[in-house]
Amino acid sequence: MSTERSGRLTAAADADGASRAVALAGVLVLTWSYVSVLYHVTDVVGGSSRLLLAVAGAFVLASLVGYFVSLRTALGVTAALLVGGFAVYVLALPQSQLELLTPGRLLSDTVALLTGLSILRLTGAGVWAMAVAPGPVFLSWYLAVRRRYVWSVVAGGVALGLFVLTGDAGQIPTLVGVVGGTAAVAASTFDRYGAGVAQLDVMAMVLATMIVLSATLSVVPGAGAAPLLPDRGSPTVEGSLVDAQDRLNVVGSIRLSPKVRFTVQSPQSSYWQTAAYDRYTGDGWVRTGNTKPYDGRLQGPPGSSRTVQQQVTAEGTISILPAAWKPVRIDGPIAADAEVTTQGNVRPTTALRPGESYRVTSEVPLYTTEQLRRSGTDYPDQIRESYLQLPDSTSDRVRVRAAEVAGGEDNPYDKAVAVEQYLESEKRYSLSVPQPSGDIADTFLFEMDAGYCTYYATTMVVMLRSQGVPARFVTGYTPGQEVADDEYVVRGLDSHAWVEVYFEDVGWVRFDPTPAGPRQTAENARVTEARQNGEEGVDVNGSEDTPTPTPTPTANETNTGRNGNDTATPSDALAPGGDGANVTPPPGSVPGLGETATDEGGGSPIPDLPPERTFVVGLVAAVGLVAGARRSGVTERAYRSLWLRYQGARQTPRDDTVRAYRRLEYLLEREYRPRRTGETPRAYLRSLSRVGLDADAKRVGEAYEHARYGDGVSRETADEAISTVNRLVRASTPVLGRFVRD
Amino acid sequence: MTDADAVPDSKPEASTVAPLPVEDAADLATRITENVERVIVGQRDAIENILIAVLARGHLLLEDVPGVGKTMLARSVAVSLGGSFKRVQFTPDLLPSDVTGVNVFNQQTREFEFQSGPVFANVVLGDEINRAPPKTQAALLEVMEEEQVTVDGETHRVPSPFTVIATQNDVEPNRTYELPLAEIDRFMKKLRLGYPTESQETELLGRISGDHPIDSLEPVASVEDVQRARRTVSQVTVREPVRSYVSRLAGYTREHAQLGASPRGALALVRASQARAVFEGRDYVVPDDVQTEVQSVWAHRIRTDSDDTGTSVVDRALDAVAVE
Repeated sequence: MSTERSGRLTAAADADGASRAVALAGVLVLTWSYVSVLYHVTDVVGGSSRLLLAVAGAFVLASLVGYFVSLRTALGVTAALLVGGFAVYVLALPQSQLELLTPGRLLSDTVALLTGLSILRLTGAGVWAMAVAPGPVFLSWYLAVRRRYVWSVVAGGVALGLFVLTGDAGQIPTLVGVVGGTAAVAASTFDRYGAGVAQLDVMAMVLATMIVLSATLSVVPGAGAAPLLPDRGSPTVEGSLVDAQDRLNVVGSIRLSPKVRFTVQSPQSSYWQTAAYDRYTGDGWVRTGNTKPYDGRLQGPPGSSRTVQQQVTAEGTISILPAAWKPVRIDGPIAADAEVTTQGNVRPTTALRPGESYRVTSEVPLYTTEQLRRSGTDYPDQIRESYLQLPDSTSDRVRVRAAEVAGGEDNPYDKAVAVEQYLESEKRYSLSVPQPSGDIADTFLFEMDAGYCTYYATTMVVMLRSQGVPARFVTGYTPGQEVADDEYVVRGLDSHAWVEVYFEDVGWVRFDPTPAGPRQTAENARVTEARQNGEEGVDVNGSEDTPTPTPTPTANETNTGRNGNDTATPSDALAPGGDGANVTPPPGSVPGLGETATDEGGGSPIPDLPPERTFVVGLVAAVGLVAGARRSGVTERAYRSLWLRYQGARQTPRDDTVRAYRRLEYLLEREYRPRRTGETPRAYLRSLSRVGLDADAKRVGEAYEHARYGDGVSRETADEAISTVNRLVRASTPVLGRFVRD
Repeated sequence: MTDADAVPDSKPEASTVAPLPVEDAADLATRITENVERVIVGQRDAIENILIAVLARGHLLLEDVPGVGKTMLARSVAVSLGGSFKRVQFTPDLLPSDVTGVNVFNQQTREFEFQSGPVFANVVLGDEINRAPPKTQAALLEVMEEEQVTVDGETHRVPSPFTVIATQNDVEPNRTYELPLAEIDRFMKKLRLGYPTESQETELLGRISGDHPIDSLEPVASVEDVQRARRTVSQVTVREPVRSYVSRLAGYTREHAQLGASPRGALALVRASQARAVFEGRDYVVPDDVQTEVQSVWAHRIRTDSDDTGTSVVDRALDAVAVE
């Protein structure tokens, strides 16, 4: 008895320890989820080792202090950590940003953050992450150490929730964090009430259900979100590039939309730029800094320039203000609703309806190749800070390859040309590619042999930056189809991404590493196909005249032969074909995400199921199933019903009889009721015989009494008991029982 | 039947007789029971319990109101098994020697002769034992335990079988010497006869109003038969599962009462169960035998809080302890 009792106590202590371990692990997982978001931020902008130090410091402090310090003091410490962190953040801000720090501005920034403004867009994102991290880590770990798991999860959950609202916490960190928090709360309840293993099974079931459902449910038709097991149709080039607001993620396979977006009347052909991005995150691009309302004329490029007037008319609903680089003035109703990004692009705050038009004046830089070659590298601080940034995690092999390709050149221009030519010649153009899981540039350079403009442009920027050449990622449209003199029809499929490189005294100069030939072929084919299929919106008046819409412009990018003067001439700058150099300004893009991206909806390419994710989700589902099976007793029942059916090898008559009786008892348990504790076998059979128990069953009971309590039974009695039980089991087995013989 | 399975026999002289076959022993018990029932109406359980005490070498404590036929019952059993019967009325002035007997000087032989007391009979009824002083009670209990009387250094063995049926009067508690629990523990069973039902009483009145039927009661067995049956009982198999069941039951009562069943109580239960098995014509004990016997064997041995009873502790033990 006493051993039994102490055994029970030990079991309780074990369960207690297990609950605490699970709760602590849950809190750790939750902490990991939001620290990983911050880590990603610091990885992009630098300072990840400092962040880890800060987090580790907060952990150690909380562990040390956890046992000695009252809750009130701990809250004070947390507040001090947060206030101190923000003080550091404010002090680290550049002067220009400090001037903007008014209470109203702070408030609107906070609102912006909470409604989806990525942390990465903060100018001092790295310092900000450092400032924010220690507070919640300290508080939640302190509370966990003190066994107040629920409040610990609340503290961590607030932090994670903040990053969910800013849109920085991806699906996986969010899910992991929520699962961790849930596990911690559940385990804390177990801890308090001393629950046992059965409850752990329930918890495992619930968590597995959470994970598997959120991983699979949005695959259901109509759900728009991005499930872990993706099966979304591929987006359009335009949807992925132009409609991105402040953040652009590189996607996998992509399609071309043949619909006309807008027409441009311009004396000069150009790339119609909508947005430029400065911060590279490894899997996409972020535009940092705040926008300012457009209030009149903007600054032109630093060097000489030529004024180009463009009249842009929307043909579909667009939320962009395409313009040749660099836009300095906007006229038209939309001017009142325009804003200017830090990068110098203009964009509307409302959408343009079809037929709406505006006039935009651009100052297109003028330069010669020689001028670019002679350009120095004494870049302004602002350019240096923003446009040489690379994630800490950028691989060395990318840097090495960039050095191999461009290291031999002694000026930024030749470096840019070298990288551009290298990419054009090394990679094939293809719209159908698997979405890379790691760093885009690294993957494109070393693991992919084909890609489209986003990949080319991203990789080129990364390579140039690693060589100390300031560059940025630009999105917009190629010139489109020239339907009349100075008139261009621009379709969705003309959307494009390219590169701009900064040159002293000239400003931003365009480079396009994407091979133009294959791209145009693909685009033309798509327009032709759309016309044949009678799709709407493919043409506007005049554009269908040209049987094959040879988009005028694009030719130029192909021009690899840059060296010569071709690019150089200032005058040709606007000619899209020219290689390079030129042009225009910008709008940011705006919300229209939905419109453009969805009107193409049916997907084509196969979702590349990431096998490891599938595996993980499957594993989680299996764990949940096992827990559920254990919880519901399915395993036990399955084992027992197998056990019921097989007497097994013959042993002594005594053992055989006992086993036969146990099988009988299990059979009766399923059919009638289990034998109660304290009920003798004889009393059990007697009470069942009142409800029609087979008389043979009583004989098995008698044989059992003989075998177990008496002097044993003969072989014959044992065999008779076995065959009686076999018969009863068969009789109670539906269908199958008829086929089994003795 | 192995030695390990049999309960050791503490009465060496009893082993000199050959055991009856189980069927004969069962038949003997049935015969005696039916014979007694000709006199005693509606007390079959009590008759069986007395017979079990006789066969299992135990003694009985009857606790009841006066006038329910205790004396008649004891006497009928004694007559039916062919043995002698004596009755002692315990009173506050009863001396130990009044129970056991005394040496008296014989003038003719000029020697001390042992004059045996009333305990020298096969069935002894000690009426209202709790009215005698403790010293007298102790004398009786000693005989019960040892089945012999020692007077002046001389040992006198009581006849075999020897069974004491003691009664306690619980209607006048302030004029009694309550039996200590340690002494109560020496009784194998404690019974309550209770009042007869209305129809039983009606029949009883009809039978006794004329000649008392006990006067015409004939023995249906011999003392030797009973001795042999006792030997049969002591050889009934008690295998490990049953022994473990008994000790788990005992463990339960020890954990759930102030004072649970003693090892002596556990042994008494095993013996009573053996006798019960013989009643059923079996040469091995099944858990059902234990369950049948346990209330009458244990309830009086368990001391509980005031709001509990030994009976209910035993009931709970039966519910809680698994039969394996």
